[in-house]
Amino acid sequence: MIKENNIKLIFLSLSLLLIILIFFFPFFWIITSSFKSPEEIIATSTTIIPRSFTLEHYNKILFNSDFFIYLKNSLIVSFSSMIISIILSVSAAYGLHKLKFYGNKFVEYSLLVTYAFPGVILLVPIYLLFAKVNLLNSYFALIIVNVLFATPFAVWMLKAFFKLIPNEIEEAAYIDGASRYVVISRIVVPLAAPGIASVAIFCFIISWTEYLFASILISGDDLKTLPVGLAGIVGQYQIDWGFLLSGAVLASLPVIFLFVFIGKYFVSGLTEGAVK
Amino acid sequence: MKKNNIEGWVFVSPLVIWISLIILVPIYIAFELSLFNVKIIGTSGKFVGIDNYIKLFGKSKFVNASLNSFYWIIGNAICQTFFAFTIALTINYKFPGKKIMANWIILSFIIPTVVVVVIWKLMLSSSSGVINSVLIDIGLLDEATGFFSSPNKAFISLVLINSWRWSPFLALIILSGLNSINREMYDASKVDGANFIQQFLFITFPNLKSVLFVLGLVGTLLSFNIFDIIWLITKGGPSSATTTLPLLIYETAFTKFRISQAATLSIVTSFLLLLFSIIFIKSMAPKEDD
Repeated sequence: MIKENNIKLIFLSLSLLLIILIFFFPFFWIITSSFKSPEEIIATSTTIIPRSFTLEHYNKILFNSDFFIYLKNSLIVSFSSMIISIILSVSAAYGLHKLKFYGNKFVEYSLLVTYAFPGVILLVPIYLLFAKVNLLNSYFALIIVNVLFATPFAVWMLKAFFKLIPNEIEEAAYIDGASRYVVISRIVVPLAAPGIASVAIFCFIISWTEYLFASILISGDDLKTLPVGLAGIVGQYQIDWGFLLSGAVLASLPVIFLFVFIGKYFVSGLTEGAVK
Repeated sequence: MKKNNIEGWVFVSPLVIWISLIILVPIYIAFELSLFNVKIIGTSGKFVGIDNYIKLFGKSKFVNASLNSFYWIIGNAICQTFFAFTIALTINYKFPGKKIMANWIILSFIIPTVVVVVIWKLMLSSSSGVINSVLIDIGLLDEATGFFSSPNKAFISLVLINSWRWSPFLALIILSGLNSINREMYDASKVDGANFIQQFLFITFPNLKSVLFVLGLVGTLLSFNIFDIIWLITKGGPSSATTTLPLLIYETAFTKFRISQAATLSIVTSFLLLLFSIIFIKSMAPKEDD
C-alpha cells in the first residue's frame, strides 16, 4: 500500500514538473525575452535569467507602429461578434434545451458538426460570396464569419447551464401568469449568467484570435486585425524579434485580462457541456 | 416535458438561418464554380462539367495533401490524447495550487495562434533557440538542428506545436468527465484488489465514453482544419511535406489563382468530412439514457 502511494507520488511530481515546463515555461520565455536587448534575443548562447532589460521594443510598437489601429479593429470586430453570438446562441440554446421540439437532436448534432466543419473549406466559397455582395474589406465580413465559428460551440456550452435550471421554476412562473419573455429575461438569463459569461469570453477569444479569414477578407491596412498585423512581421525575411515579441505579448493581454475575471466560469462552461 | 414544436423552432431559427446561409450559399457558389474553368476571381470561364473533379483525382498534389492530412490527424490524435490524459490525470489529484493550475493550463488555447507561432519560432530557432541550446547542454544534440529543415522534422515539430495548443483544452474536458465518475466505484474496486491500471481500463475509460465521442468527432474535424500554425511556420514546406488539404486549397486559390480548382477541392473535402461525420455519429454516438 505504502509502496504504491510512493510510486504515485513520484509519478505525480514528475508529470507536474513536466507539465509546468512544457505548458508554462514558453510564456515566461517570450515575456522575459520581450524585455531583452535585440542582441541577447538572437544570441547563440541562451541563458534562462535575462542579462539585459530594455523597454525599447514596447516603445517602438506602441509609439512607432500601427499597433493601435490594429487594436481598435480587433476590439470592434471581437466585441460585435461577441454580442451577436450571445444573442443568437442563448436563443438557440433555450429553444434546444428548454423547449423540446421535433428535430432538436438533429439540430444539436448538426451544430456540433458545424463547429468543427467550416474553417478553410469555406474560405474560397465565402470569399466569392462576399466579393459578389460587396462585403470584402469590412468589419461586417469578419463579424459574420466569427459568429459562424463561435455560436455552434457556444450553444453546446450553454446546454449544461440551461439543464441546471429546474423546469419547475419556469412552470411556476407561467402559472402565475408570466409571459415567455418575462420568464426568459427574469429567470432563465439570470440563472444561466455564469454560462453566458463563459460563452461571451469564448466568443471573444474565437474572434480575437481568428487569423485565416481576416487575412483574406481584409486587404486594407486600416482595417487589419492584430493577428494579421503580427503575422505580417512573422513573414518578413529579417524578423525584428523584439518588436514581434512585444507585439505578441500585447496581443495576448486582452484575452488574459478577461480570463483573470471570468476564467473560472469559462473553464467550467467549456467542460460542462461535454458531460451533461 | 411536452414538445413545443413551433416555439422551439422560432428560438432556434435565427442561428440556424445565419449558419445555413453562411455555409450553404457559399457551398452552392463553390459547386457552380467547380463546373467551370475560372482562374482569377471575377473573370468568367468556360463550362467544363465534371472535368475538374476527374483531373483532381489524378493530381499527385491532391494525393500527397490527402495523405499529409491523414498523417496530420493521426499524429495529432496520438499526441493530444497522450498529453491530454497526462494533464487530466495529474490535475485530478489533490496538490497545492491545483485550482490555479486547472484554470491557467488553458493559456495556450486562449492566446492567438499567431502568438503560438511566435513562441515556437523563437524557442525552436536553429540559430538562437532555447530548445537547441538546452538539448546541446544536456548532451542530446551535438550541434544546433533546424527543426523545420527536413520534411520529417518539420512535420513532427508542427504536430507537437499544434498539440501544445490543443491538449490543455482537451484535458479540461476529460477532467470534467473524470469528475463526474462516482468515486465509490474506485473505492469498491480497491477493496476488490484492483490496481491503478485496472482502474483506468475498467472504470475510468468506459465512463468517459460520451466525452470521448465528442472529442473524437470534434477533435478530428478540428485537427483537419488547422491552417494558420502550419502556414505561418513552414508555408507547407519543405518540399510540400507539410502541405495538408487546407493549405493546398489556400495555395490553389490565393497564390496560384486557380479558383475553380480550389472550389473543386473544397467541395470534395467537405464531402469527405461530412461522410466521416455521419459514419462516426451513426456508429459511435452514445445511447441516450434520459
